Amino acid sequence: MPVEELSDGIFNLSIDDRQMLATRNLMPGISVYGERLIVEDDVEYRQWDPSRSKLGAMVLRNFEIPLTYDSTVLYLGAASGTTVSHVSDILRDGLVYAVEFSPRTMRDLLQLCDQRPNIIPILADANKPQSYAHIVEKVDVIFQDVAQPNQAEIAAVNSKYFLEENGHLMLSIKSRSIDTVASPKKIFKDEVRKLESGFDVEFEVLQRKELEPFHEDHLGVLARMFVDHEEKE
Amino acid sequence: MELDEEYDVLLRDVCIRAAKSRISSNDTDDVRIIQAVQALDDIDRNVNELSERLLEWYGAYFPELELTGEALASFVTSFGSRANVPAGHPLHEKASGSMGAEISFADEELLRTFASNLCSLYDTRRHIESYIVTGMGSLAPNLSDIAGALLGARLISMAGSLQKLASFPSSTVQVIGAHRALFKHLRSNTPSPKHGIIYNNIIIKNAPWWQRGKLARAFASKISLAARTDLYSGKKNPSIRESMEKKLNAIRAANPSPPKRESKPTGKPGPKGRGRNRKGGRR
Ligand SMILES: C[S@@+](CC[C@H](N)C(=O)[O-])C[C@H]1O[C@@H](n2cnc3c(N)ncnc32)[C@H](O)[C@@H]1O
Repeated sequence: MPVEELSDGIFNLSIDDRQMLATRNLMPGISVYGERLIVEDDVEYRQWDPSRSKLGAMVLRNFEIPLTYDSTVLYLGAASGTTVSHVSDILRDGLVYAVEFSPRTMRDLLQLCDQRPNIIPILADANKPQSYAHIVEKVDVIFQDVAQPNQAEIAAVNSKYFLEENGHLMLSIKSRSIDTVASPKKIFKDEVRKLESGFDVEFEVLQRKELEPFHEDHLGVLARMFVDHEEKE
Repeated sequence: MELDEEYDVLLRDVCIRAAKSRISSNDTDDVRIIQAVQALDDIDRNVNELSERLLEWYGAYFPELELTGEALASFVTSFGSRANVPAGHPLHEKASGSMGAEISFADEELLRTFASNLCSLYDTRRHIESYIVTGMGSLAPNLSDIAGALLGARLISMAGSLQKLASFPSSTVQVIGAHRALFKHLRSNTPSPKHGIIYNNIIIKNAPWWQRGKLARAFASKISLAARTDLYSGKKNPSIRESMEKKLNAIRAANPSPPKRESKPTGKPGPKGRGRNRKGGRR
């Protein structure tokens, strides 16, 4: 069975002529949400379903994934940890701070944290980075999937607080969370413009693509943050 | 490097514990109340069955006794055989002239135990009710203020949590508990339900039929507001109740008398069905 590493820690397996996205299981033998486990050459992989994960969909839409084995990541909108578990697989020697504000959902996430040593759970509102500033250090990447009307703003304030200079922001924008009637295309354009010049941190948008067919009316964005205007040149 | 790792291990540990303790203080309040509401329902179901049984069973020995429910249970617990009803007791005469069978000692003992268990179920029920009232006072003071602690608790229970209740649009709150009527409405063209369990509040229950729909809508919207206030601030805000009273009074004043029936003699299901519907409502 051919195994191809698409980027650090992210694999494409070919099984019976079918392609399957996967990460290398950090906790062999344990399936997190019922996903398939596949062993090849003594390595166990976990199937990664792109229709259950915006990040997974971004991989398949050919985003440059800025994650490496030892990245530190701030993950906003961790939910019960479906995607966080794959991030945790990828960051074998790194760390992910997983922020989620619903206590009920956090309860499921905590079970995942009990199993995996590289996830630090934070029960907090991503609108209030002050409330976890004493916990989170500078990170290489912020991944955000909060489905909120003020997504761009949440990304900007968190980047200002926590993102390393020239660090990467990966963002999933759900148009319906912003406006249920306006056309997604227009919403996406506005949100991207906001990121580029609407806040006191600025981003260079490197890639933007809709996450169809995996997620309807979602835009994936990869951006890099500039702290200082002079440094741009 | 090693220090760094140790720090991360410690940090993670602290974060997990912090989140857990916040969840256990945050989440369990409504879970406990939901359990209590369900325990009430369980007790009611059982109490009804058991007291029916007691009525039939004891009826063989004292058919003239016109007591039911808790009154019957406590009568049987205190006297057992009707021969023990003392002179001067209001039921003494009925007891001595009864056409019921003689009760054996063994049967008397058995029935007394049975009845006294039933009495403690009634006690437990009261106990649970006051537990709910107290608990709701701290979990959802505004909801309790608007809807009453017991109805409020029932709404939380049927929604699944305070958070869910708070996230429902008030049109949903209005029909919580009306599933059967709602599905019937969707299947055939019966009128859509105007109220689910909030019907049990006297605001709606005692209102004349032509005001009920409007009152229920206003009531439900204040319930939503109260639940949201409880979820996000947790502090009692008396102005919700005041504005509700105002709103309800305005509705009552604006609709003093029943609307004229449309004088169409044809059997259209709409208005006719409505009028008929009210009949069963006045209980
Ligand atoms: C679309 S789900 C995320 C799914 C997750 N990223 C995955 O792929 O498994 C959005 C989550 O963000 C959480 N959320 C929304 N707003 C938030 C906020 N302001 N702060 C923290 N979490 C938030 C929600 O509770 C929900 O669990």
